[in-house]
Amino acid sequence: MTRFRWILAVATVGCVLSACTAAGGEEPTPVPEEATTISVWVSGDPEETQAFLDVAEGFEASQDAIDVDLVQIAERDDLIARLSTAFAGGEPPDLFLMNFRYLGQFESKGALEPLAPYLAESDAFTQEDFYPEAMSAFQFGGEQVCMPQNVSSLVLYYNRDLFEQAGVPLPPAEGWSWNDMVAAATELTQDADGDGAVDVYGLGVDPEIIRVAPFVWSNGGEVVDDPVSPTRSAIGSLRGIQAVQAFLDLRGVAGVTPTDEEAESQNFEERFLDGTLAMMMESRKVVPSFRTITGFDWDVAQLPVHRRPATILHSDAYCMTAASDRKDEAWTFLEFALGADGQGIAAATGRTVPSLRSVAESDAFLDPSAPPANSQVFLDNIPFIRAVPNVETWPEIEDVVNALLEEAYYETGGRGEAGELVVAILDQTAPLFERANVE
Amino acid sequence: MALRVDRQRAGLWLMVAPFLVGVLVLVVAPAAITVVMSLFEWDLLRPARFLGLDNFRELIGDAAFRASLRNSLLYVAIAVPLRVAIALGLALLMQRRERGAGVERAAVFFPTVVPDVAYALLWLWILNPLFGPLNLMLGALGLPTPSWLSVPASARWGVIVMGLFLIGEGFLIALAARRAVPGELYDMASATGAGPWARFVRVTLPLMSPALLLMAMRDTILSFQATFVPALIVTDGGPPPYGTTYLPLFVYRNAFEYLRYGYASAATVFMFVLTASIVWLQYRAIDRVRRGGIWAGSGLGA
Repeated sequence: MTRFRWILAVATVGCVLSACTAAGGEEPTPVPEEATTISVWVSGDPEETQAFLDVAEGFEASQDAIDVDLVQIAERDDLIARLSTAFAGGEPPDLFLMNFRYLGQFESKGALEPLAPYLAESDAFTQEDFYPEAMSAFQFGGEQVCMPQNVSSLVLYYNRDLFEQAGVPLPPAEGWSWNDMVAAATELTQDADGDGAVDVYGLGVDPEIIRVAPFVWSNGGEVVDDPVSPTRSAIGSLRGIQAVQAFLDLRGVAGVTPTDEEAESQNFEERFLDGTLAMMMESRKVVPSFRTITGFDWDVAQLPVHRRPATILHSDAYCMTAASDRKDEAWTFLEFALGADGQGIAAATGRTVPSLRSVAESDAFLDPSAPPANSQVFLDNIPFIRAVPNVETWPEIEDVVNALLEEAYYETGGRGEAGELVVAILDQTAPLFERANVE
Repeated sequence: MALRVDRQRAGLWLMVAPFLVGVLVLVVAPAAITVVMSLFEWDLLRPARFLGLDNFRELIGDAAFRASLRNSLLYVAIAVPLRVAIALGLALLMQRRERGAGVERAAVFFPTVVPDVAYALLWLWILNPLFGPLNLMLGALGLPTPSWLSVPASARWGVIVMGLFLIGEGFLIALAARRAVPGELYDMASATGAGPWARFVRVTLPLMSPALLLMAMRDTILSFQATFVPALIVTDGGPPPYGTTYLPLFVYRNAFEYLRYGYASAATVFMFVLTASIVWLQYRAIDRVRRGGIWAGSGLGA
């Protein structure tokens, strides 16, 4: 009401002035327009969300009509909680950024505004300008619902200095076998001061389904029976079990990854930054923090391979809410954020692998002077990217499977049996897949 | 005369009205809505679907719910007696008006005023298995150093220990109740040859029992909810699968992360009924003891 009154007042003054100027024959006085503010919610550590802040600032500098109120929320779980209550309260943001694995629960409920019609009419870019591997993860029923801002994937980060000090050959950019990786990790795992505690571990990888899945695929197995409409877990095939066992053996047999207690005490990212972790499997998101490293050289390589190369999609998309009453303004922001300017700004922070081909293949992303030197690995990965399904109950399925994986991974005394684990996974996820199909 | 009483009563109602409105709007209404929601499947986005008692049936078969229920009951069974006993013990130790007593009492109360999240983050550091001060200290003394966050039993003890320092309110109640015990009774007891233990059992405990009952009931209600922040921030419900998943965390995850508000409401209703039952049992038990139990002989218990 206040805003309405203000506009009314400005309009009245404007009318009076224009009448005066018409009468007086002077230059018309420009009437200041109030900028529309759109709200955008993102989650992540401050180092990660800096990229989105930079994009929002770049957008505001490029025009005067639209301001961006970028809300940074520390954890993804909190973003989901806040979104669900905001939807219920009828006051959701105009846009939010979300990984495809957590979208099913919103999309299936009609809370999102499909972006396909906006994309079809856009002058800024077309569907073909983006990597289809990222675009397809945000399609529901064949329709583009959200627009990906990145096409990251799981890669192997390595500390070049630790490899050289141990006399271990560096990981090749591609085609490293799983067994060679385990052998290298074993050599790199060292108790330098002989006190019985390992000082440097060869590898850090979280026992989570999104870390295990690429190796199941690489070995020729499957995670679910149907990637689009899954009805059950398919990890129980022989190839699946082999890959899961090899993963569990990293801790249980080879002992090349930190113990549960050590991982709880200091996470892998901190260990890598400290120079006490030789290799680590992560997506692109750690690059802004790794760029602060000054004590050693580091780079990236493709994941080790069982039978064929495979990796997993890590992609976040901007989604527009159906309840937004500033959809055109929100789309104008998206044209900037997802276009060459916005993606160039985000890529410069190191946080993203641009979803727009022209930017991904440019120096804005590949600049070898900004570590990692071999960012090309992320682009070489794209043909081998696969995604886990984005069904409604996927967040619950992940939580259940991750708990089982973690338990088996850190279990000592030879209980980390893949066969036993996959039986538990099949058993405990069955009702969740069933619920996804009922709803 | 009747008019004056009526006016007095009206004045009382007027004074209590803001509180009643608050309770009605902020407690009774949400509780009633929760009970209704527990009968529906509702994600707050699509229209709710009536399920009857299906949510409750699903809860019974849900391994995560059963684990959280077990964990919560275990927490209440261990933490409540410990917290009440510590609050009582400290109140008895610090009840004398001496120099420096104020500082001691402030120190006991202080952790209670630290914001929950800050307190939890502090413990995340204290309980760090390798770099935390607790294990460094235990190690230096040659004592075992538990893996506080990665072994279920240790993690559950960790959450209990965190709660043992948040006894400020119980401590104040106990302190006030102890101060209310007339000093002559102790003099009389001493004159009849009662030692410190006999004085404690025959004078202190019976006269403080209403306050202790209040503390135990209040602490039970609080303890069912108090695990939320430590479980969310310090242990994240783990070690897996559900080492420190307590009922409030179970409710939170289902409602706000999985958007199953109906199911979470059913768990909340269950938690409410459980808390009410335990508080009722405590009341009955203490009432029975007071009427005919061990304190009757003192002549003060009834």
